Amino acid sequence: MPQYQQPPSWRLEGGGQILDLETAVKDGILGGGGGGGGLGGAAGEKVDLKKMIEELEPVEDVPSVFICPISLEPMVDPVTLCTGQTYERSNILKWLSMGHLTCPTTMQELWDDAVTPNRTLHQLIHAWFSQHYLRFKKRSEDVQGRAAELLEILKKKVKGQARVQALKELQKMVVNHSSVQKTVADSGGIALLISLLGPFTSHAVGSEAIGILVNLSLDSEAMVNLMQPAKISLVVDMLNEGTIDTKINCTRLIEMLMGEKDFRSEIVSSLSLLAGLMRLAKDRRHPSGSWAGLSLLKTICSHERVRGLIVSVGAVSQLVELLPNLSQECLELTLQILDDLSTIPEGRVALKDCPQTIPNAVRLLMRVSESCTQYALSILWAVCKLAPDECASLAVEAGLAAKLLLVIQSGCSPELKQRSAELLKLCSLNYTATLFISKCKLTRTIQ
Amino acid sequence: MGSFCSRQKPYNEADAEENEQAEEIERRIARETKAEQHIHKLLLLGESGKSTIFKQIKLLFQTGFDEAELGSYTSVIHANVYQTIKILFDGAKELAQNESDSSKYVVSCENKDVGEKLSDIGSRLDYPYLTKEIADEIKTLWNDAAIQEAYSRGNILQVPDCAQYFMENLERLSETDYVPTKEDVLYARVRTTGVVEIQFSPVGESRKSGEVYRLYDVGGQRNERRKWIHLFEGVRAVIFCAAISEYDQMLFEDEMKNRMMETKELFDWVLKQACFEKTSFMLFLNKFDIFEKKVQKVPLNVCEWFRDYQPMASGKQEVEHAYEFVKKKFEGLYFQSTKPERVDRVFKIYRTTALDQKLVKKTFKLVDETLRRRNLIEAGLL
Repeated sequence: MPQYQQPPSWRLEGGGQILDLETAVKDGILGGGGGGGGLGGAAGEKVDLKKMIEELEPVEDVPSVFICPISLEPMVDPVTLCTGQTYERSNILKWLSMGHLTCPTTMQELWDDAVTPNRTLHQLIHAWFSQHYLRFKKRSEDVQGRAAELLEILKKKVKGQARVQALKELQKMVVNHSSVQKTVADSGGIALLISLLGPFTSHAVGSEAIGILVNLSLDSEAMVNLMQPAKISLVVDMLNEGTIDTKINCTRLIEMLMGEKDFRSEIVSSLSLLAGLMRLAKDRRHPSGSWAGLSLLKTICSHERVRGLIVSVGAVSQLVELLPNLSQECLELTLQILDDLSTIPEGRVALKDCPQTIPNAVRLLMRVSESCTQYALSILWAVCKLAPDECASLAVEAGLAAKLLLVIQSGCSPELKQRSAELLKLCSLNYTATLFISKCKLTRTIQ
Repeated sequence: MGSFCSRQKPYNEADAEENEQAEEIERRIARETKAEQHIHKLLLLGESGKSTIFKQIKLLFQTGFDEAELGSYTSVIHANVYQTIKILFDGAKELAQNESDSSKYVVSCENKDVGEKLSDIGSRLDYPYLTKEIADEIKTLWNDAAIQEAYSRGNILQVPDCAQYFMENLERLSETDYVPTKEDVLYARVRTTGVVEIQFSPVGESRKSGEVYRLYDVGGQRNERRKWIHLFEGVRAVIFCAAISEYDQMLFEDEMKNRMMETKELFDWVLKQACFEKTSFMLFLNKFDIFEKKVQKVPLNVCEWFRDYQPMASGKQEVEHAYEFVKKKFEGLYFQSTKPERVDRVFKIYRTTALDQKLVKKTFKLVDETLRRRNLIEAGLL
């Protein structure tokens, strides 16, 4: 009988894993010692295995042979059918209990409904996960260890470049490893970082500290601490002067603070903040920054008392002029902001005074989404109500009537249709019937 | 031919020398213009506190004041002492005449004569050296209850901020071999005339890159500002000093005008100048130490600009609240006075106490960082 020759490299498919027999034995994956064990230890093993899978599956490339074809998850209790295909026990039993008598992957009819535990595969899966888990934990500890070191350095109050470099390194780690986030939080790192922020904090230090804080979950105490005027001033300064990443971090931090229950609108009633957000929103070179700026503005706009300030920095005309060039997400935000601003008298006046308001708003009706249409309509309504004689004709010339008819005939909500009808009526007041009807025809551009 | 030749002779020696000189001057101008570009010019503006900042920069980043310079301040400081006590004595007399509770402003009999004598000295053009005897007399008068009462009304009497400091140090100031300390010099009050400038290298990073700052301090004169302000077009930054503690004080030049209102108007005017369209503005809200103490006794609303102020708490929290209120007012003024196209220029507010050297150093480090970042952004490197 010819000796069975194991091919020199026996490969497992999938992932970046190439397991050859030599390495597999050496690394203990294929038994050796107390490795696999029998089914006796199976229950205990399974629990550990579940935990390891949970932690590793998001970050590692699990070999495809370990994956259940039904759930696409790593198998904890692999069982094989008579067709030779292996599945997670609970999944295949469910399949069979639904009355199917076929093998899900091969579509063959099953001549035998027995389900055989695939002990070999189970052992391999367990061994692979154990090995990778150990490595993962070690790496994580290394990273956590380094993070703890960095925090010690910062606690010793180093100054200058040393401090900036420590913060930079810590920031990278916090972003890439969730375990570090916990380390920082547990060792008083949050309070330390917040204490670094004050009226004399340099931009270099402040921007790194904020870059770390936005990636941590801050408790109430930390948030209240951050809401001190001197610290907020610093954040606003950095929002005005920083790189695009710093600016985005600042907006995220402020949004976090605005969600806190002790938040008061005076904190964001800063002209510098609002002017800075407008500058960010208008920045064509950085769409992500633009979105961040608009998003925060929208959140701020929900506080009525700040709306007047927003109008006073000239936001209305700047936002209106932005409309034609925005992506859909930004468009909805911008229209919502303008709609909120139209609820105050100064906002309405600013909207009316800006020559682009009506044409841009009309153009956006029925163009993008129902909510965009709703906001645009609301804005037009506010403007036309304010100065019907002036604005109604402008609107009609811009093709408003035809658009309103579209809305009324569409599948939009009843309130929207009602509003459109009312606006249509308002606009038609100064026209004779025939003239108005001619304006209602869809022109080529609108089509 | 001969005459043609002699007429054609291009230059005689004198001409050649002249041309050589002219070219040399051209070269020098070109070199200096190039060097000037690396000098960042800063202009100090504002109603009061500019010179203190100026002196601090001198102390921090230059070699400070040498013996001779320190010595030159002796007469100034003595003059300040005489001026102060005169203002207080005359002020007490005035209050005794005009106030309803006049008795508390009446100087005691023993001190009356001394007071008159000192008031007389104070009105001369030349002040005598401050001897021990005179210093003692001044000390006694300062301790008089009526004078202390007058001091507490200092805001309406034009009592300078250095009053208490000098009065407390009278013994030292009257030593025969008295040489002013750096701190004494910082407190000394002398009205700046004309323009003074110093050149210095800032701290830290910039020192390596050879950056140089030149700081200009113009006098506090109000007249004809519009005629010379445009000479400062192209300065890197304007450092505007606003003394926030002066919200209850009147101008020296015009006792009917509130100092804070004057500062407000000046700031507004400066912001609107075409020559500063692209200039960075660093607003120093100065004299915070005095503001801190005053705000708990004198409500902000006494100043018309701050009449809508509502106190919230007390103690330290109230000071912070008041400061934030004043800051927001200045911010509002900035955005109101700035055309939309100009809103992109750098505008930052700093809380300062010009007499505190450490704070001025920290503040200036931040100013330096901001200006450097601005340079990098404008060069497209950030």
